[in-house]
Amino acid sequence: MSKARTTRRIGVVAVVATFALTGCGGQSPEADAAGDDTETAPLTVWVMGDSGANLEAAVEPFTAETGIAVDVEAIPWDNVNDRLTTAVASGEGPDVTQIGLSHLASFLEGGALEDLTDYVPDHPNLDPANFPSAVAAENLNPEGGLYSVPWVSDTRVLFYRSDILAEAGIDGPPATWDELRTAATTLAARGDGQYGYYIPQWDAPLPVTYTWQSGGDVIAKDGTIELDTPAFREAVDHYLGFYEDASVPTAGDFDQTAGFISGSAPLLVSGPYLAAAIAEQAPDLEGKWGVTTVPSNDSATSLFAGSNLGIWRGTENMDAALQLLDFLTEADTQVAWYDATGELPAVTAAFDDAALADDPLAVVYAEQLQDSRPLPISTAWDEANKAVLESLNAIALTGADKEQTLTALFATIEEINAR
Amino acid sequence: MSGNGGAGGPLGGTAVLPGTTEVGPVHDDRRPGARRRTRPGGGPADRRPRRGRAALVPYAFISPALLLLAMFGLLPILVAAGVSLTDLDIGGLGNPETVRFIGLDNYERLFSDPGFWKALQTTAFFVVVGVPVIIAVSLAVAVALNTSESRFFRALRAFYFLPAITAIVAIALIWGYLYNSQFGLLNHLLDQVGLGPVGWLSDPTSARFSVALVAVWRATGLNIIIFLAALQSVPKEYHEAAALDGAGRWTTFWRVTFPLLRFALFFVTVTTLIGWLQFFDEPYVLTKGGPVGATTSISLFIFENGFSLNQFGYASAGSIVLLILIAVVTAVQLRMRGSDD
Repeated sequence: MSKARTTRRIGVVAVVATFALTGCGGQSPEADAAGDDTETAPLTVWVMGDSGANLEAAVEPFTAETGIAVDVEAIPWDNVNDRLTTAVASGEGPDVTQIGLSHLASFLEGGALEDLTDYVPDHPNLDPANFPSAVAAENLNPEGGLYSVPWVSDTRVLFYRSDILAEAGIDGPPATWDELRTAATTLAARGDGQYGYYIPQWDAPLPVTYTWQSGGDVIAKDGTIELDTPAFREAVDHYLGFYEDASVPTAGDFDQTAGFISGSAPLLVSGPYLAAAIAEQAPDLEGKWGVTTVPSNDSATSLFAGSNLGIWRGTENMDAALQLLDFLTEADTQVAWYDATGELPAVTAAFDDAALADDPLAVVYAEQLQDSRPLPISTAWDEANKAVLESLNAIALTGADKEQTLTALFATIEEINAR
Repeated sequence: MSGNGGAGGPLGGTAVLPGTTEVGPVHDDRRPGARRRTRPGGGPADRRPRRGRAALVPYAFISPALLLLAMFGLLPILVAAGVSLTDLDIGGLGNPETVRFIGLDNYERLFSDPGFWKALQTTAFFVVVGVPVIIAVSLAVAVALNTSESRFFRALRAFYFLPAITAIVAIALIWGYLYNSQFGLLNHLLDQVGLGPVGWLSDPTSARFSVALVAVWRATGLNIIIFLAALQSVPKEYHEAAALDGAGRWTTFWRVTFPLLRFALFFVTVTTLIGWLQFFDEPYVLTKGGPVGATTSISLFIFENGFSLNQFGYASAGSIVLLILIAVVTAVQLRMRGSDD
């Protein structure tokens, strides 16, 4: 019954707000009666997506060694924001939480996390120097401090079907924007329902990586969002170019895994999860596909995605929580996590392990991670990014006038900046 | 969609209650001089001694319901109205002292937001297409089902009711597969008869119809039951009398049966209209409001601003506007019904 549910959803805003306005929202570091035996209190840990069982297995050695029990709660990605707002409003959070980089801005703004700066000397694994410079402390904590540490990393690389490329007379995967445009057009000419490339219509970071690849940025020196730049316009032209060439599917529900396996989209930019899906769904494709770094314009910069770990503000298990973070960011633990889940390590040293160094895919991921950046960590950017994607898709799919739409987009950005 | 359910929440409650008239003293002064003037057992002679306690008794009986309504219906609305005057966001949740009172700024921003107007248009489209279709289809099916009491027809009734009790997530999954433009069944069937593929959920225009179709499919079940109950309460004598007068089936339906369905029709219209105005589930699970915002209804617009961008103040303003819109539309319907009573 949509009426009931919608009303409830809208009601939640109100109820959540009640807590905030009546002041129940503050953290409550009141002395717990059982506060003395923090040694034995189990740590609650939020983990996102379907990693729950894996994390339970991964922390077994930790529990065996320290005697600290860990309560893992798996939260579906779709519910993360709901859980966060409820927890922030009620002050009832976990002790440790995974934070997808795309949610980090909300966690920071909600004041959900503890500043870890003072604890780094005693827990050297948390030192930002252990992680790639893309996720350096100042990039992830716009207001200063150290509110989270990288846990797993993720990036976007170019997937290509070597068999189909060879058939079409294209030697090797395209290395530049121009080569990609040409190759995509050639491949799309194979017939009806055949495309050269794929642009996910929901992929908000894509226009941003194109802007980076054109040597620009979406955030100006003064910290405001700035899109009316030559680099962004170049990115827009590149994005729309594929639609003009009719070399990408226009259907929003195009399935990239199915499209890559069937060969209808033999070139596409995606993450390591696609490699896992191909290996699982089409093992006979082995040897007919590969990955390489993304095609470059001025640079071949890609997206740095992934997840961090943070400690909930006001936790009563600070000590145990720090120990868990220390354990999870150890290079060995990170390699074991990669073995179990296929999620890439965040700790630079972990990439030297044979498990990764001998995996041809992981080598490409590692190379791409060297030239990757996270999206701006700001809730204003989240809103701006949504507007960018909507504008580009409106031009590409509904034939909206390009200049008018971009002018309107820039006006929206001004509004967001002014807020 | 279409919430005819009893657990209709605050809006459903307030919208439907006046139509039923038997609710209690709350609505008495709405229609002065209407039938509820006399109090049970309260002649003028014995009125005074019983006044103190007796007058309170009815209120005591309805107080649990009123209390619930106030807590879960009225209070959230009042809080939302309050929040809509602030700039509450996720930062404000964490640090309530940073929340600022910004007057009507949210409403100003709302009315100058093209996204809001587009959502309003989209919702209007859904209402205009969806309400008549649901009413016509439910009524037609109910009339057909009412022609026989055989086992087969009883089984059919259950069959038509199934969509109404199926989980929306399962529905989204199944219809998503049917509609998929790459490997969907519908396009496969079209292909079999030599027709080109349709972008069911990927073309902005067809996506609206596809999403609406799922909503219609899902909402008819309950409305069929309501119409069926109304049809079965039509006294047989009327039909016999009509038959004696030589009326055919068609004439009997339009002249005898249909007028007697007026209350059911009114009820279904009001609840269906409110359901479409709050249209949310189907676009949320099938398209997330896409492609290019073509299926973003007002509710979805509010949800996106409130729960993916965490702009609670702005989203609250949107929900208050939606509430007022629904209240006005429902009041107009009640007034129209009042005039033909």
